[in-house]
Amino acid sequence: MNKKLVIPGQFLSSNVKNAGSGTYIDDGKVYSLLYGILNDKKRINVLPFSGKYIPSRNDLVIGTVIVVTPSNWIFELGSAFDGLLHVSEFPRRIESAQMKGVMSVGDSAIIRIKDVNPAMKVEITMRERGLRVIKEGRVIEIMSTKVPRLIGHSGSMISMLKKETNCEIFVGQNGRVWINGKDNDMDRLGKAIDLISSNSNASGLTDMVYKFLKSESDVEDDVDTNTVSEDVEDIQTDDVEEVSEDTSRKIDMLLDPEDE
Amino acid sequence: MSKPEKFFDENGLRLDGRRVDEIRPMKIEVGVLSRADGSCYLEWGNNKVLAGVFGPRELHPRRMQRPDTAIVRYRYNMAAFSVEDRIRPGPNRRSTEISKVSREAFEPVILTHLYPSAVIDVFTEVLQADAGTRTAAINAATIALADAGIPMKGLVSACAVGKVDGKLVLDLGKDEDNYGDADLPVAMTQDGDVTLIQMDGNLTQDEFKEAMELVKVGCKQILDIQREALKSKFDQFDTEEIEEETVVEAPKSEVEIDETVEVETEVVVTEEEEVVETEEEEVVDTEEEEVVDTEEVEEEVTADDENDEEPDKNTDDEDVEEGETNE
Amino acid sequence: MSEVMSKLKKDYVYNLMLKGQREDGRAFDEMRAITVETNVIDKAEGSAKVQYGDTQVLVGVKLQLGTPFPDSPDVGVIITSLELNPIASPTFESGPPRENAIEMARVTDRGIRESGAIDLTKLCITKGEKVWMIFIDVHVLNDGGNILDAASLGAIAALMTAKVPAERNGVGEDFMIPVREMPVGISVVDIGGELIVDPGRNEEAVCDTKISITSNQDGSICAMQKSGEGALSEKQVLKAVTLACEKAAKVRENYLLKI
Repeated sequence: MNKKLVIPGQFLSSNVKNAGSGTYIDDGKVYSLLYGILNDKKRINVLPFSGKYIPSRNDLVIGTVIVVTPSNWIFELGSAFDGLLHVSEFPRRIESAQMKGVMSVGDSAIIRIKDVNPAMKVEITMRERGLRVIKEGRVIEIMSTKVPRLIGHSGSMISMLKKETNCEIFVGQNGRVWINGKDNDMDRLGKAIDLISSNSNASGLTDMVYKFLKSESDVEDDVDTNTVSEDVEDIQTDDVEEVSEDTSRKIDMLLDPEDE
Repeated sequence: MSKPEKFFDENGLRLDGRRVDEIRPMKIEVGVLSRADGSCYLEWGNNKVLAGVFGPRELHPRRMQRPDTAIVRYRYNMAAFSVEDRIRPGPNRRSTEISKVSREAFEPVILTHLYPSAVIDVFTEVLQADAGTRTAAINAATIALADAGIPMKGLVSACAVGKVDGKLVLDLGKDEDNYGDADLPVAMTQDGDVTLIQMDGNLTQDEFKEAMELVKVGCKQILDIQREALKSKFDQFDTEEIEEETVVEAPKSEVEIDETVEVETEVVVTEEEEVVETEEEEVVDTEEEEVVDTEEVEEEVTADDENDEEPDKNTDDEDVEEGETNE
Repeated sequence: MSEVMSKLKKDYVYNLMLKGQREDGRAFDEMRAITVETNVIDKAEGSAKVQYGDTQVLVGVKLQLGTPFPDSPDVGVIITSLELNPIASPTFESGPPRENAIEMARVTDRGIRESGAIDLTKLCITKGEKVWMIFIDVHVLNDGGNILDAASLGAIAALMTAKVPAERNGVGEDFMIPVREMPVGISVVDIGGELIVDPGRNEEAVCDTKISITSNQDGSICAMQKSGEGALSEKQVLKAVTLACEKAAKVRENYLLKI
């Protein structure tokens, strides 16, 4: 196992054929470009600890309108680059005068990156099923590099979160997460996402988050709700405090049967 | 303060007890500002500097953008109270020059072409000045850039060498700086390429050669301290845990999911690796579906999705400009 | 550069408020965790680093000899500056202070000046010719909201640790700046009719009105500023004053009296 913390300029390998993302080649050697974690299981990749989202064609993201012009909405994407949604990329015909009525500054939407040109001009589309303005729920921001951790292997983490909190969840590739459900469920889910985001380097994360959600819902049971998911009771036996790593693996398997 | 009678004691040690080739103690903290994308607080002798990095981010006004590359902006600023006699806040001719050469010290290592049209802002604040503030600021800025996840070919380390009483010394202290005969601040990459060099005073060519040798030693020591600071930020995770990290392609933001199988011992390493490889294959497929909550999403939009009206590029640009002036 | 806050975020903060809650779990009348470190900058005659949650400001006090103003020939001079450095927030830009920074500098200054915190008569050396000029420089390092209160606490804390460098300037022996009052500024914002103290960054962005009240040890008020585009009812103003004086007493007791 050769995963370790690396810093920019650190020598990684002499095998230039395997140089992957977050690396560069100089004089027949591979070096790190980034401050992050080395993964050289297959190719030599460096996963940065932080960094801005870079728009990439076909990504689904959540954006916030910052400017409305007679024929475009400009979205802020939590990135180095804003995105342009031309009125023709909206699913229905809009007259110039109606632009602000459809989406105005501060509105958020689930959008797809249609194209990114070499100068990083980002074009957006909403002409697709599912892409829409978000009017309710909350948007939580995490580092875009932590998106995979939130989704989990084959979606295991996200499935668990949905099940445990009865919330709808949409994870944008830019690290913006839209959640919608009952207020107290969203509170729990928000805290769980924070937990994932701040412990993304820890092992047994699904287990940790599951435990956390259980303990939070227990507290809330005493107060006013009875939202504990029953499916989970089937998976998990009585003593929540003693969930082992094994259990979390079992949960992953149960939620994702095709997986193994 | 007046000029000291002598700069070296009978043992050849300097006013503060250092050897001629010894730098002042340096202390580095990584990630100290919540609003910056990357940050660093650095103390070096009595210097106290703070560096914050923002970006890459949108550059306004748009006419300053360069379509093929990001630009770097660097601000060297001294707090009014950072020196003996208060200075007026805000830029002056000295800080403007230092900002320029410091920016140029980083341009060779930052992969600016990965972020066309954008800007990377590096702000350094000298909170307390005690000789060598520009080099201190550069040393802090490097760490802040790494902390912000900015791709760089390596760190930049900076140190000054100078001449006092006819003798070359590394990393000038305050008195040595004030009353010395020469001051030569240098910044270099890990390969020893010089990205900043300035000099004032007087050195013979032989002295200069010797000075360069000395400054290399200093920059190397600083590079080690910088590396150590970055490595220790994540001390709380033991390596075992770090090995279970997920993978994101960077900087191109292709997301792969590699939810690791819980590894318990090193013994099963070979099996583990096979398992993981197959999983990574699957993941690429599942990712898109998993990201969108499809059930939810399908209801609202019914229109078919063929795009028959290509947006007119020219009008696009005009609109953007218009939008900005209205802002 | 202005930051656009999404409507969802605004609604969230606003709706929490309607439920009697705040984003970080505080009560409406609860301050964030405060830390005050003094004498952090040797080059300054007095200094303090203050944190309110993740807001960080560094205040330095420097003294120089100068000429008094003609209309007050026998007292020292106070000059307060505040810089919203671009390092402190993605929305701050380089350049000379704009109206927000100037407003905050002036409100900080008023708290110190009008409370009579410093006995300025003791800072006169030769009437009409030579007096001490006190420069209070507030260097904002990280904007987590409510910079003003952190600046005002930092200013008085730095003054309390400041020594007049008389010896170095050949005008007698060094002495501590004669501080005789400890003004503390507390800001209260109105969100949906509710008053909350020590607003965090998002709360500051959502509220349309803020009132900052600086009060003294005896509970009297020495400076006040309403800012923001909204209006406050008379009842709210009165309530804000009571709240601010109460909180100021606690902050004074916990941080200033321990210096």
